[in-house]
Amino acid sequence: MAAGYRTHVSIIADILFTAKQYSYEGYDSGATVTHLIRKANVPHQRLSSIVSTLTQSGLLYEDSAKYRISEKGIEFLRAYSEFKGFAETFGLRV
Amino acid sequence: MLEILFELPMNLLGLGISAFIGRFAYSGYATVASPNLLRLTFAFVSIAIGFALLAGGLFAGGYSQAVTTAGLVAQATGYFFIAFSHSLKSFDFAPPRHFLLVPLAITGFVIPGNSIEHLVRSISFILLVYVSIETIASYMQSKRTSTLMIGSGLGLLAVAELLSWYNFIYPGSFYLAALSIKVAGFGLMFVPFSKFGLASGLGRMNSQIGSGL
Repeated sequence: MAAGYRTHVSIIADILFTAKQYSYEGYDSGATVTHLIRKANVPHQRLSSIVSTLTQSGLLYEDSAKYRISEKGIEFLRAYSEFKGFAETFGLRV
Repeated sequence: MLEILFELPMNLLGLGISAFIGRFAYSGYATVASPNLLRLTFAFVSIAIGFALLAGGLFAGGYSQAVTTAGLVAQATGYFFIAFSHSLKSFDFAPPRHFLLVPLAITGFVIPGNSIEHLVRSISFILLVYVSIETIASYMQSKRTSTLMIGSGLGLLAVAELLSWYNFIYPGSFYLAALSIKVAGFGLMFVPFSKFGLASGLGRMNSQIGSGL
């Protein structure tokens, strides 16, 4: 699959994946905004808007100025992976 | 009578497969709110409606031709949505230009003028050739076997439409073969679903994990 551009959903998945890495995989304190910007590769203004939406949706939660993924966020990532495979089967992006 | 005995199960099988894929695509849209999954939902729901109308056309008496044409229009709409999804993406690897000109080159051959059904089949054929080429081009990048199966399935659907179109020239000669190839094409598209865990995907339909994104 070409990496020409990223869809909005794939950027959300990148943000959640980064938050997940910093929540469970060796880092248990959560991801800072800097971590999210660096790993998800999005500008600060756009990241703030997306993170705000994700927090309101219950996929992320803020803890001492750091972001951690929720159970609902992990479930979203699992579903994203599954449906990404489905769309790629048709040669499409999610 | 023989045609009904053959056509009805084939159309119902096509209806079942396309409805199943459409429902799975909708569960994906409801879960991750992806526009491409919504387009796939519209596509396969339209195709399923088309199969239902084609099956209903067998029992529509004097309205048979009209119902059948409506079914073909619904299916062409479905093919359009799949083609539309492909037209919105871009490739780092561009397929050879002459390869993409194939649908244009054969347009003059397949565009007829003697009936709406004839015209709709021609449009379906062109859309399917385009989608099949795009999907095969995706396979050339990703090398995913499932993508090749979907591309091959779409190619079979295009062959089926071409044979159905040919049926106008030699009535009765290719119609059943075309219907069989069409259902085989949908069957080929259905095979990759075995690995997606259909139950889990459909189970998420009501959870709306990504609602509001």
